[in-house]
Amino acid sequence: MTDEKLSYEQARTELATVVERLEAGGTSLEDSLALWERGEQLADICQRWLDGARERIDTARAARAEQ
Amino acid sequence: MTQPEPKSTAAEPWPVRVVSQKLGAWVAKLGWVWVDGQVAQISRRPGSTVVFLTLRDPSADLSLTVTAHRDVLDAGAPELSEGARVTLHAKPEFYPARGTLSLRADEIRQVGLGELLARLERLKKLLAAEGLFARERKRRLPFLPQRIGLITGRASAAERDVLMNTRRRWPAVDFRVINVAVQGPTSVPQIIDALEVLDNDDTVDVIVLARGGGSVEDLLPFSDEALCRAVFGARTPVVSAIGHETDAPLVDYVADLRASTPTDAAKRIVPDLAEERQLIESARGRLDRSVIGLLDRETQRIQAWRSRPSLARPELLVDQRAAEVTALRDRSARGLDHRLRRAEDGLRHTLARLRGLSPAATLDRGYAIVQRADGLVVRAADEVKTDDILRVRLAKGELRAGVQEHG
Repeated sequence: MTDEKLSYEQARTELATVVERLEAGGTSLEDSLALWERGEQLADICQRWLDGARERIDTARAARAEQ
Repeated sequence: MTQPEPKSTAAEPWPVRVVSQKLGAWVAKLGWVWVDGQVAQISRRPGSTVVFLTLRDPSADLSLTVTAHRDVLDAGAPELSEGARVTLHAKPEFYPARGTLSLRADEIRQVGLGELLARLERLKKLLAAEGLFARERKRRLPFLPQRIGLITGRASAAERDVLMNTRRRWPAVDFRVINVAVQGPTSVPQIIDALEVLDNDDTVDVIVLARGGGSVEDLLPFSDEALCRAVFGARTPVVSAIGHETDAPLVDYVADLRASTPTDAAKRIVPDLAEERQLIESARGRLDRSVIGLLDRETQRIQAWRSRPSLARPELLVDQRAAEVTALRDRSARGLDHRLRRAEDGLRHTLARLRGLSPAATLDRGYAIVQRADGLVVRAADEVKTDDILRVRLAKGELRAGVQEHG
C-alpha cells in the first residue's frame, strides 16, 4: 500500500508499532534510523489527515456562515 | 295493462296519452313506501291546502318532490322547517297533465334529535364493525406536505384558522382550497366531490376537512355514512378538524388523524419551522463538538507519539552508539598501555641479566683487560709486538702501557 493510500488509523497503528520497536531496541543502527525515518513519515501522514479534517470542518463552517 | 299492447314503431308511434297512461301505471306499481330524507325546501302556499316539499337524500345529490295535505303536515310535523330530517309514508304519483312525478304523503314524522343520535350510534357500531375506524388502517401524514388540500366553508373562521396557523408554523406551505357548504342538505355531496377532486390531485398529499363549531344538527353532515366511506376510501391521508374539542362526528373516527379544532389541525399537518431550525442547530452543534473532540484527541495522541524520546530525539540513537565507541576506544587504549608496561618490565629484567654478565666483577678481583689499539682483546703474547701501546682496563679506570719484551 503506498503512503498516500494509508488511512489515518492505519498510519497511526503503524506509528505505534514503529515507536515500540524503536523503544525495545536490539536493532542495528541502520535499521533504527530507517525506523525513525518511517516514524516521522507516519507522524506526518497522521498530521496531514488531521489538518485536512480540520480544514474541511472550517470550510463547511464558513459555507454555513455565508448562508 | 290488462291486454298486451302492440309495440310502438316508427310507422305506428304511440300517442302521448298512451305513453303517459303507461308511465302512470308503472309508477303506481311501487305502491306505498316509507322514505327517509332531508327537507331541502318547503312551500306552504297561502290559500292552498297542499304543501310542497323538496326531499333530498342527505348523502347524494338526489331529490324528490313530495306533496302532502296541510293536515298531514300539521299532524306529524307542525314545526317542519328546511334542513329537518323526516320519515314519511308516501306513494309515487305521476301527473299526466305536466308529466311530472311526485310522492304523495299521508303521514310525515319529523325525526327528532334523539332519534338522529340513536341512528348515529347504530351507524357508528356498524362502521366500527366493518373496520373503518381500525388503527392499523390509518395512514401516516407526511412530515412536511408538498401541498395541503383544504375543504371548508367559504371565508369561514375555520378556513382562516387553518391557513393562518399553518403558514405561521411553516411559511412556505402550499394550499389547494375547495370551498363547500358545510351544513345543510347540499353539504355532503359537495364535500364528497371536493374530497374526490383533492384525492385525485397528485400534488396534494394531505387533505384537511375543517369546520367551526355548531349545533349537533349543523355537524350532522360530518357523520354521514357516505362521507365516512369516502374518507375511508381516499388514498390521501385525511385530517378531520370539525367543531370544538368536545364534538365527535363520525368522520373523526374514520379520518387518519383527528384534530380537535381547525387550529389544532395546523399543528398536526406541518412542523414548526423555528422548532425544526433549532433542532437542526443543536444537532449541528453536537456534530461539531463530537468531530472536533475526536480530532483534538487524535492530535494529542499523535503529539504524544511524536514526543516520545525515540521519535523526538533521534540523536540518542547516535549518541548511544558514540558512547559505545568511546568506551571501546578507552578499553583498547587501556589494553595497549598494559602491554607496553609489560614490555618495559621485560626489558628491565633483560638488562639486569645483561648486567650480571658484565666483566666488572672479575676486574674487581684484580684482573685487567688488555686491548690492542685496534680494540682486539689480547689473549696471547704473540698478538702484540714490542713497542705496541696497549690499553689496560682495570676495575677502576684504565691506563696505557708499552710492550718492552715478550716471550
